[in-house]
Amino acid sequence: MKIFSESHKTVFVVDHCPYMAESCRQHVEFDMLVKNRTQGIIPLAPISKSLWTCSVESSMEYCRIMYDIFPFKKLVNFIVSDSGAHVLNSWTQEDQNLQELMAALAAVGPPNPRADPECCSILHGLVAAVETLCKITEYQHEARTLLMENAERVGNRGRIICITNAKSDSHVRMLEDCVQETIHEHNKLAANSDHFSLSLMQIQKCELVLIHTYAVGEDSLVSDRPKKELSSVLTSEVHSVRAGRHLATKLNILVQQHFDLASTTITNIPMKEEQHANTSANYDVELLHHKDAHVDFLKSGDTHIGGSSREGSFKETITLKWCTPRTNNIELHYCTGAYRISPVDVNSRPSSCLTNFLLNGRSVLLEQPRKSGSKVISHMLSSHGGEIFLHVLSSSRSILEDPPSISEGCGGRVTDYRITVVPLASVIVKESLTEEDVLNCQKTIYNLVDMERKNDPLPISTVGTRGKGPKRDEQYRIMWNELETLVRAHINNSEKHQRVLECLMACRSKPPEEEERKKRGRKREDKEDKSEKAVKDYEQEKSWQDSERLKGILERGKEELAEAEIIKDSPDSPEPPNKKPLVDMDETPPVEKSKGPVSLLSLWSNRINTANSRKHQEFAGRLNSVNNRAELYQHLKEENGMETAENGKASRQ
Amino acid sequence: MPTVVVMDVSLSMTRPVSIEGSEEYQRKHLAAHGLTMLFEHMATNYKLEFTALVVFSSLWELMVPFTRDYNTLQEALSNMDDYDKTCLESALVGVCNIVQQEWGGAIPCQVVLVTDGCLGIGRGSLRHSLATHNQRSESNRFPLPFPFPSKLYIMCMANLEELQSTDSLDCLERLIDLNNGEGQIFTIDGPLCLKNVQSMFGKLIDLAYTPFHAILKCGHLTADVQVFPRPEPFVVDEEIDPIPKVINTDLEIVGFIDIADISSPPVLSRHLVLPIALNKEGDEVGTGITDDNEDENSANQIAGKIPNFCVLLHGSLKVEGMVAIVQLGPEWHGMLYSQADSKKKSNLMMSLFEPGPEPLPWLGKMAQLGPISDAKENPYGEDDNKSPFPLQPKNKRSYAQNVTVWIKPSGLQTDVQKILRNARKLPEKTQTFYKELNRLRKAALAFGFLDLLKGVADMLERECTLLPDTAHPDAAFQLTHAAQQLKLASTWHLRVCRL
Repeated sequence: MKIFSESHKTVFVVDHCPYMAESCRQHVEFDMLVKNRTQGIIPLAPISKSLWTCSVESSMEYCRIMYDIFPFKKLVNFIVSDSGAHVLNSWTQEDQNLQELMAALAAVGPPNPRADPECCSILHGLVAAVETLCKITEYQHEARTLLMENAERVGNRGRIICITNAKSDSHVRMLEDCVQETIHEHNKLAANSDHFSLSLMQIQKCELVLIHTYAVGEDSLVSDRPKKELSSVLTSEVHSVRAGRHLATKLNILVQQHFDLASTTITNIPMKEEQHANTSANYDVELLHHKDAHVDFLKSGDTHIGGSSREGSFKETITLKWCTPRTNNIELHYCTGAYRISPVDVNSRPSSCLTNFLLNGRSVLLEQPRKSGSKVISHMLSSHGGEIFLHVLSSSRSILEDPPSISEGCGGRVTDYRITVVPLASVIVKESLTEEDVLNCQKTIYNLVDMERKNDPLPISTVGTRGKGPKRDEQYRIMWNELETLVRAHINNSEKHQRVLECLMACRSKPPEEEERKKRGRKREDKEDKSEKAVKDYEQEKSWQDSERLKGILERGKEELAEAEIIKDSPDSPEPPNKKPLVDMDETPPVEKSKGPVSLLSLWSNRINTANSRKHQEFAGRLNSVNNRAELYQHLKEENGMETAENGKASRQ
Repeated sequence: MPTVVVMDVSLSMTRPVSIEGSEEYQRKHLAAHGLTMLFEHMATNYKLEFTALVVFSSLWELMVPFTRDYNTLQEALSNMDDYDKTCLESALVGVCNIVQQEWGGAIPCQVVLVTDGCLGIGRGSLRHSLATHNQRSESNRFPLPFPFPSKLYIMCMANLEELQSTDSLDCLERLIDLNNGEGQIFTIDGPLCLKNVQSMFGKLIDLAYTPFHAILKCGHLTADVQVFPRPEPFVVDEEIDPIPKVINTDLEIVGFIDIADISSPPVLSRHLVLPIALNKEGDEVGTGITDDNEDENSANQIAGKIPNFCVLLHGSLKVEGMVAIVQLGPEWHGMLYSQADSKKKSNLMMSLFEPGPEPLPWLGKMAQLGPISDAKENPYGEDDNKSPFPLQPKNKRSYAQNVTVWIKPSGLQTDVQKILRNARKLPEKTQTFYKELNRLRKAALAFGFLDLLKGVADMLERECTLLPDTAHPDAAFQLTHAAQQLKLASTWHLRVCRL
């Protein structure tokens, strides 16, 4: 893997001389008459593109595919050449998009057929291309700065794609020589200026791709030639291509070669017919992407081992079958690669249907067609923020199959990973405490004492608990022990930490009447235990795997707990204390930015707190009750009927 | 990383080794002794590794398919017969076959070749294979490099002097070169004896089969863990950063994120994170995984009852539908998550992202992620009903921005017809008419396709003449105006040029 390979920098040099204004002699019908309105009207004569138009739209298509698949670090510099060189953009990332290039091209306009052909030459452009290849890109600059004394590791390679209309093979050789010479000169310049300028680099490698294009029906005066090394720095290849769609096809092949692309055809895409909304036909869409997305096929495709090669040699496109997505369930797939895609035929209806579907947030699994009939999901198409990626999913046997379950390992037998809800925990870990912090910690401790006195259940997550948890007084005992350990771990930080511990120790030495109170509370507690147990049993029956369902159950479990909470407060409960939510929110400081890391515990606690506080609103009647009796329909005694309606609404919430 | 042990059972392996004052050994006995040691090591310290055993002479045979049952492998070692000559190439082809059928082409495998360095004679000998290496077609390609990521370890039942006396060592070195340098040759130091074979296999174990131990940290909570399979060093760019990156042994959790937000990210590899119990000296007591061994069993039961952070983390991630982001090294991250096996088992798993400041474009730079409490407003909304992810790219991709492509005539025709359709519904469709018209004009100007502008102008003028008497007067006005403007655009360049 090299970041600064030849494909880091691509220079397009497009001929803008008068002969490029000539027609490519391939007609395009553009006046397609709509049915029912054709009587007596002769359609307008077809038009044809100029060599220039063909060259520009083919190179724009090359750039479109490249930018879609490599939005960063693959850069294009566009030069047009006539009586001079016009450099349309720079290597900066802001200049790297289709809109910029199209706007610059519009400003240049088509070649002027009346210009003096003697003054015009592609050579100006080629010389400018070499100059521009010497210029450092922001990525090269960044890498050099980062590597410091190893800056020389940053390579400077590039590719020149020159689209022109050459006169002969010797004309082509002359162009090659010119590039060769210019590179030589500029490398010398760059070498000498190294100490003075940080913006120039020597060219280590340059790939010249000369494309001779000519009107359809003419004879080519230039012959094709495969890649040849002209010097240690320069290689050159010549393509002689008819204009029109032939040129577009050639550049499509080249972009695939230059950027290691491969093609995948998604087949069996169901699409609603415009005319018949109830029926759907199946369509195919071809996508380009980096060839690593086919790594599994490539490896098994070129298997030299007799018999096992299923697909034969690597085909030009690989077909994958659309699997209609089920609901949008969120799953973490084992994905070994994700590659940006570009549709081959971006504006066709099937392509845009597929891309819009994906851009709307749906994912599609893709299946390998296999002769055996077994279903193998090997890829997934998914968009992330307006970009579509082809994900490669692992489809072979996993080397981690049948792993030991976490419950069989260390700590796996512990069922009670409870998390107590104490704001103190996030404060005590700080290096220094303010008076307010100390006060907060003390409040928390008093609050816990209060909760224990009232025999309130500790807000324990039932998650991960199997079987019946410990009894409530046992829970409190464990909680106090944990709290003491926690606070003790920090007493050396400051005298204020010490004060928190003192407060804690004072509270722990509880009066004997506490025990008595406990016994009285036991009966009530048993009732709750049963309801808790029911929740737990319910959970146990359910499979661990379906996390969605599990979540639902937990939600329900929490609700049930909340309900149990309300039921408990029946009229015959002894001396109802002012009912509070599970945790006193007023005393819990909001999640403030604390200096230390936010602990898992406090993250969890805050989450639970907010969730629970949202669950119910205290019944207004109970809040205002006297001896737990609220007088209903008080307002009826008053005169206003409007209030009735309003109250009715409010109480329904 | 599954292992394939490829054992030479040609006749030359039965050559006796002179050991003073003891019964006579053959080279194959030394080999079996070394492999026994390897298998015993794996059975205790690397028990999740899948290993297969292949024997070869002029033919090859899969004695034991991939298994974690080291007793079976051990038994197979004692049931090997002696055969004819060495024919390495066909055996390596066999290895390709076996690995690809089992694991495909993406899972890295280690191939442990055990041989005496006699490379066979005539056709099929390694010398012959290497001599004809350049004359091969796709159909009889040499099996190296292996068509899967691999390491080739060659264990020679011979010492260096013996191998150097012929060209054997050179040939074996060529093999490693052909595997893109992935692998190593081990020879016996000093005389051929059990002790020296042990030390040779000891080196292999140190190199390739030492378990990776790490400490998983999250704030004040920690757990000792084994990461299996071992994370392998990774090279980001061989040119500008050729030093392989190795992951930290302190794995620090730096944050948590929803599964929906991380969204099936691509990963380099994935690994089980197994909590281990260490005794005071820091030696591993066990992974807590139940075993037949009674002593271990009780130790495991004790370990099982000591709370472990991994279990807490696993449970929390599972219930919350989240993953934990873990720092693997400078600018290198991974994720921890709960992975459910097909059965009712689930596990803590770690996947490694590609090193770099921004491994997942949809999360942006990792350094810019922070706790929710750092944000002015909760980016997930008060009711957890939105998400700051995925990030939107600066520039839209071509498929998301309605680009104009006229390479196929159908593309052009569709665009012209859109204009025509709207032209016939003027003045109601004035807005869309001009939107489409301007899109076409813009593209035609960029492509220098002035004939199209003229053509469409003609077409609009014709439409104007075809308007029914009932048509709104504005329709004719708009069509004429549009046609005029297109004509103007189509000649603009010529006029500029002439100046």
